[in-house]
Amino acid sequence: MGHVTSFSALPLAAALLAGTAVLSSPAFAQNGMNTTSLQHEVVLDGLDNPWDMAFLEDGTMLFTEKCSGLSVRLPDGTVNALYGVGDVEGYASNGSDLFCEGQAGMMGVAFDPDFGNNRRIYVYATSNLSDPHTNRLMRFTLSEDFSAVSDRVDIVDDVPYKMAASDHPFGGPGAHNGGRVRFDANGHLFLTTGDTHNGEVPQSPTMMGSKVLRIDTDGNAITENSPPEGFDTRTYTYGHRNVQGIAFHPETGAAITAEHGPWHSDEITILQNGGNAGWDPRPNMAGRGDCPDDYCGYSPNQEDGMNRYERAAFMPMTDFDTYPDAMPPIWNNNGWSQGISSAAFLDGEAWGDWDGAMVVGIMGIGFGGTPIGQRIDVIQFNDDNTDVEDVTEMTLPMDTGRFRSVVMGPDGSLYTSIDEGTIYKLTPGG
Amino acid sequence: MSKVYSLVAFIIICSFAARADSLAADAKANEKPETAAIAQEVDLEAAENIFHKSCRACHGNQAQGVASYPKLSDKTPEYIAEKLRIYRSGEKIGPNSILMISHAKKLSDEDIANISVYVATAFD
Repeated sequence: MGHVTSFSALPLAAALLAGTAVLSSPAFAQNGMNTTSLQHEVVLDGLDNPWDMAFLEDGTMLFTEKCSGLSVRLPDGTVNALYGVGDVEGYASNGSDLFCEGQAGMMGVAFDPDFGNNRRIYVYATSNLSDPHTNRLMRFTLSEDFSAVSDRVDIVDDVPYKMAASDHPFGGPGAHNGGRVRFDANGHLFLTTGDTHNGEVPQSPTMMGSKVLRIDTDGNAITENSPPEGFDTRTYTYGHRNVQGIAFHPETGAAITAEHGPWHSDEITILQNGGNAGWDPRPNMAGRGDCPDDYCGYSPNQEDGMNRYERAAFMPMTDFDTYPDAMPPIWNNNGWSQGISSAAFLDGEAWGDWDGAMVVGIMGIGFGGTPIGQRIDVIQFNDDNTDVEDVTEMTLPMDTGRFRSVVMGPDGSLYTSIDEGTIYKLTPGG
Repeated sequence: MSKVYSLVAFIIICSFAARADSLAADAKANEKPETAAIAQEVDLEAAENIFHKSCRACHGNQAQGVASYPKLSDKTPEYIAEKLRIYRSGEKIGPNSILMISHAKKLSDEDIANISVYVATAFD
């Protein structure tokens, strides 16, 4: 269902306000040196699985809906539907090749750092132009009046897509696409990808799943990328499982990922150029035998709960025995996998002690005795910015949900989307 | 409202019975509902607890369906109950069966009756 249709379901008064803040709540009082009082507003509601947002300095917000498409919310609250998935109605234009299936669809979005001059934006989505189908990073030109996109160029067209169901949890087509698109302070474009439930992908030198790509805005490798010999030079890091979160430390500039774990061990990792994240779910190695459909990612005992540390010993998220030089995670969610999905750094004095801290959105799973854990965590680093010093669950002034995206806004507020269809604005103080 | 829910529970029990048994047994089943409806009112509080513990994280806070997990709020209680019973038996009927079987096998008949009505009606 397109978002235009979704809005039509709102009462008239609310529909007239669609795209503006329609709900507000009093600050939820919090006390303590590491906490901040928060207010929340509903920025948009009734969306179709909102996946990501990107901002200009004036508050203009691009946002994606997984099965609907790309839209822009202007500072006055107007929403323009720009580019639809497949034949979804209500968009200025459509990508007839785009589709959604399972976890796949339209995902990450970013403004070009030089958008003021070149009007370029970037969107990651699943396409059937190739067979097997792939995930693609598309570049567009956004019109001066923010009403349409044009000049599509697929600057990355070869990120693997899972075509068929397999015998695994979450085993449908479309699994593990990664999906976040972000620029660092140097203007380098990062794209995170996933393993597509294919045991061969993570350590493959040429299949671009399970990677963090670092490229320019034409899709070419950054010259300084230093993956191992024989790797596709777009590779910044490899050996990941399914990276949906990446953010850059405001002081060190380091790229830091937030990555789903497999029934255990969500991980936050400071990336090293050319580094291996150590995920290798191939069967018949590292002490494992055969696994369902040649993918050990949920083994052993993939159909029932079991001790998370026993799981981690059998199928480690970061396999230091096999890859001693793998990049060490700086946090593993206390051994749990709860669906960590996105990352951002808080910015502004209003955040108090949290100014400069990392936040991660966690969607919640709740399998086999795992606490569901839907939340936003605040990750504070040590003085050297090399390790995690403290983790605090953000006390939220609204109900929880599947926190798919956290993005710092230009107004000093943190914006977060939940799969249930809402984009919230969280503002410190009040 | 509780009368409405009781009525729906009554229908579910009828439905299960009718499916499970032969035509001859159907006659017996049709005699059961009055007793069953009296004996088993839907416990919405218990259902809400199950929803928050086992359903909401995947299917969404309004059972609206999110990510790769289907919408439930537009389904009938009968449909939901039938699927839960299949999952509880261990039969795989979709890509997320492993997740559903894990949750469903903990449910009693009463739990299934409760949660089926709750999910289908609480978010109207």
